[in-house]
Amino acid sequence: MILVRVIAAILEGVLVLALPPMLMSIVVKTKAWFAGRTGPPWFQPYYDLHKLLNKGAVYSRTTTWVFRAGPIVNLAALLTAATLVPVLSSHSVFGFAGDVILVAYLFALGRLFIVLAALDTGSSFEGMGASREVTFGTMSEPALFLSLIVLASATKSLQLSEMIGPQLFAARGAVGPALLLVVGALLIVLLTETCRVPVDDPATHLELTMIHEVMVLDHSGPDFAYITYGAALKFLLLGSILLHVAFPHPAQSPWIDVPLRVIELAGLAAVVGVIECSMARLRLNRVPLLLAGATVLAALAAVLALTGSVT
Amino acid sequence: MIAVPLTLAILGIGVAGSILLARKPVASLFIALASLVAAGVLCCGAALRILLGAGSVEAVSARWPLPVGTATLALDGLSAWFLLVIGVVSTAVAVYSWDYFRAAVGREAVWAAAALMNVLVAAMVLTVCAGDVILFMVGWELMSLSAFLLVGFHHRDPRTRRGAWMYLIATHLGTALGVLPVFGAFAASSGSTSFAGFAGALDPSRTTLCTVVFFLGLLGFGTKAGIMPMHVWLPEAHPVAPSPVSALMSGVVIKTGIYGLLRLITWLPPLPRACALAVVAVAVVTGVMAILYALAQRQYKRMLAYSSVENIGIITLGIGLGMLGRATHEPTLAVLGFGGALLHVLNHALFKGLLFLSAGAVLHGTGVDNIERLGGMARRDPVNSILFAVGCVAICGLPPLNGFVGEFLIYSGLMRGAGLDSLPVATFALVGVAGLALIGGLALAGFSKLFGVMFLGEPRDAHVHLHATPPSMIAGMSILALGCVAVAIGATCFGAFLKAPLAAIPGERLDAQPYWESVSSPLVWISAMSLVAIVAASALIALRRWRKLPRPAPDRPVTWGCGFAAPTARMQYTGSSYLWKLAHSFRGLLTPHRHLARPERCFASPARLETQTQDAAVQKGYQPMFRAVAQGCERLWPLQHGRIQLYLMYIVSTLLIVFAVEAWHAPFSDGASDKATPGNPPRAPAAQGAQRGGDASR
Repeated sequence: MILVRVIAAILEGVLVLALPPMLMSIVVKTKAWFAGRTGPPWFQPYYDLHKLLNKGAVYSRTTTWVFRAGPIVNLAALLTAATLVPVLSSHSVFGFAGDVILVAYLFALGRLFIVLAALDTGSSFEGMGASREVTFGTMSEPALFLSLIVLASATKSLQLSEMIGPQLFAARGAVGPALLLVVGALLIVLLTETCRVPVDDPATHLELTMIHEVMVLDHSGPDFAYITYGAALKFLLLGSILLHVAFPHPAQSPWIDVPLRVIELAGLAAVVGVIECSMARLRLNRVPLLLAGATVLAALAAVLALTGSVT
Repeated sequence: MIAVPLTLAILGIGVAGSILLARKPVASLFIALASLVAAGVLCCGAALRILLGAGSVEAVSARWPLPVGTATLALDGLSAWFLLVIGVVSTAVAVYSWDYFRAAVGREAVWAAAALMNVLVAAMVLTVCAGDVILFMVGWELMSLSAFLLVGFHHRDPRTRRGAWMYLIATHLGTALGVLPVFGAFAASSGSTSFAGFAGALDPSRTTLCTVVFFLGLLGFGTKAGIMPMHVWLPEAHPVAPSPVSALMSGVVIKTGIYGLLRLITWLPPLPRACALAVVAVAVVTGVMAILYALAQRQYKRMLAYSSVENIGIITLGIGLGMLGRATHEPTLAVLGFGGALLHVLNHALFKGLLFLSAGAVLHGTGVDNIERLGGMARRDPVNSILFAVGCVAICGLPPLNGFVGEFLIYSGLMRGAGLDSLPVATFALVGVAGLALIGGLALAGFSKLFGVMFLGEPRDAHVHLHATPPSMIAGMSILALGCVAVAIGATCFGAFLKAPLAAIPGERLDAQPYWESVSSPLVWISAMSLVAIVAASALIALRRWRKLPRPAPDRPVTWGCGFAAPTARMQYTGSSYLWKLAHSFRGLLTPHRHLARPERCFASPARLETQTQDAAVQKGYQPMFRAVAQGCERLWPLQHGRIQLYLMYIVSTLLIVFAVEAWHAPFSDGASDKATPGNPPRAPAAQGAQRGGDASR
């Protein structure tokens, strides 16, 4: 029995690590479909990663150890976070009371090193991207934490796999409306943290309008592979938190749970693609308002959940 | 227990030796710093003995010729925790100071600085180990005075004098208005000056009195610690002090204020919930406003000073949470709150000490205190850049370093508080979590700016030269950096040390197993996950090395400038432009002054923009207040003629009035004079000694 569970966990881990580039491919395919194009092959992100991993890297003469450490620390932080987030089934590899705080701070650690690596190039473009990234990252932090409080008070737990697991399914009746607001807030946080429209446009040609892409302009070779994969992994992790909140599953067999989640993740990627096709990026000075909106949504949800649990 | 008097004796030898050898500055410096290292190690040893022995109290008493009982040095869990902090930081600072001050031999009176550092550390040891009011006040005042002299070390600069005086005045106002009344209240109701008699001296049913005493303590000790709005001396005094002194001040001196506050809480009965909520509110305001001010600074040591205020806010948040736990009889909250606050005291001492020392190395090497003139230091001084980066990651509260551990405990306490069935508590817990999250985000922005602009990119000013950081300075900083890593990896072990200080807080035993579980079990996980993160990073590095890739070309190209082939250092983002957007979003709170001169004609003509962010507490609070005081005092000028006859007349008339009042109230009879001073405590020195001895045997 234990052997079966270990094998299942390993299979799930492999699937979780293999999935992120496919989600990016789904986003691209959706956009291509909207534009009436065929789009690149489904496995193009994997080919790209393979190509980048086998290329040499170019380092500008301005850069130091920070530039090389950036992609590594970022990906290491995200991989550590991946062990704590329940992605496909409602179990995570590790878990303890309060691990949700660790996950949020691991994301912040990754962000800090990407930003520092960008500043290390001494380029004004990358400085600009770094400046925007920290600004919006700071503003999305309260929204994320307030959303987490709602989940914590709904499930009376501080362990992520319980906060968004079957316990949430049991509690959804009591905090239903609050959960709806949390989903809204988390969606905005997801779009901000993964640098998607309406906060950032990953497909833009103009460096002046980019956030994430302009920060990683100078990275190449395996460093860039790490960064690309890290961005996709972050999308997977935040996306699965969002999905677990939006569609809590009851405790059921993993043979039903896992395929269902994969389909949901594909759906989320398609939705993000649709958002990117159907609206333009917001003006940069409007983005703080969007994030303030997310914070207000989360705060409202928290108030709803708390008053609901008190009375 | 012999360790504490021994420490004081060693420090005394250091002071005497460095003064006697003042003619031979290098020898004088060596003696002073060697005694500082010895004392620091001894402090750590004494503290660890108590912390590992889980809550035993040790005391030593000595008679002294003052009429107020015996001088008692007592070492319980709480004192031991702060003694550990003092020991670690002063050892590292002493090692660092060797090369720092040796470079100034011949130019400055280094023997004086070294002797004063010994006095400062001795005063802090005395303060946290004092067992009675008189000894505490001796230590407290000695600490204020020696720190004042150390801050004013470069006294030829008017800014330095201003910072030093501001510190002296602020700390004495706090002592006079807050600390002394608190001790007076306790001494009056317990009838002794010994701390052992203070616990439970105030009647728990007199809630108003307890509340007033607590808030007076918050005012007095908060001034030393730098709680807003009493923080104004920190950003003036810390940047102008020599860097080892800044590290000592920010790392430990301000923590004695926190020690005083925690000691006060151990004497008071659990206060009503509203008090705890007020503390939480003050803490959130302190943290958020201080980090916002920190973002707007251009002087890096000034920014670090503001960030100290922010961290004091986080520590106060933990204390507020602990008080909330006591008020609502939720020991888990109390454990997480007080435990988080204590752990953050240690952590902040480690990483802020490291940052001030590392910033000091930059200042020492370049002589430039403005971040906008620096840049590219990581290429020229890689070791210092790594140390500074460790400090930055730790201070942002990021795993896998120590800053995360303390903040984690406070976060999880607040999140549990939100689950309590009480709307006001839940609301404040919510505000606390949102505030802490915002503080975390803003700290990340601020420290990425500090590190990015100072150390990364191209040098912004070609005239700034840098010499390499000398070895003893690197060694001193490495001690603190290793501490930052050790607390995170060994979080379980350091968590276990918390049992003794938590046991010092009366009420339900906070180190009891069911409550303790809430601290110890996540700490094991944090240790483990820190290791997982480090292993993951190592694996990624290994993967990177393992693949045989084409070597990078020996002549490295310039940074890709999106087609522009001749980038200059002036095109980089500056610190101000990097955080402009964020500062602009919070302009309602920061109220920056802008002086904008637009170009007037069509073609390129001179234009300038200046922005300045000044502390609202100074602008709107203290300046008008002190101006009003000064104006009031001007009214008294007619009394001051400068003629000695007139002054003699004032003295005689004052004496006559005093006699008249005394005669009116207390005619010359013995019974009445006793009655006139009912608050005079009976003096029983021998009894106090016995009481303390009883504690020791318990």
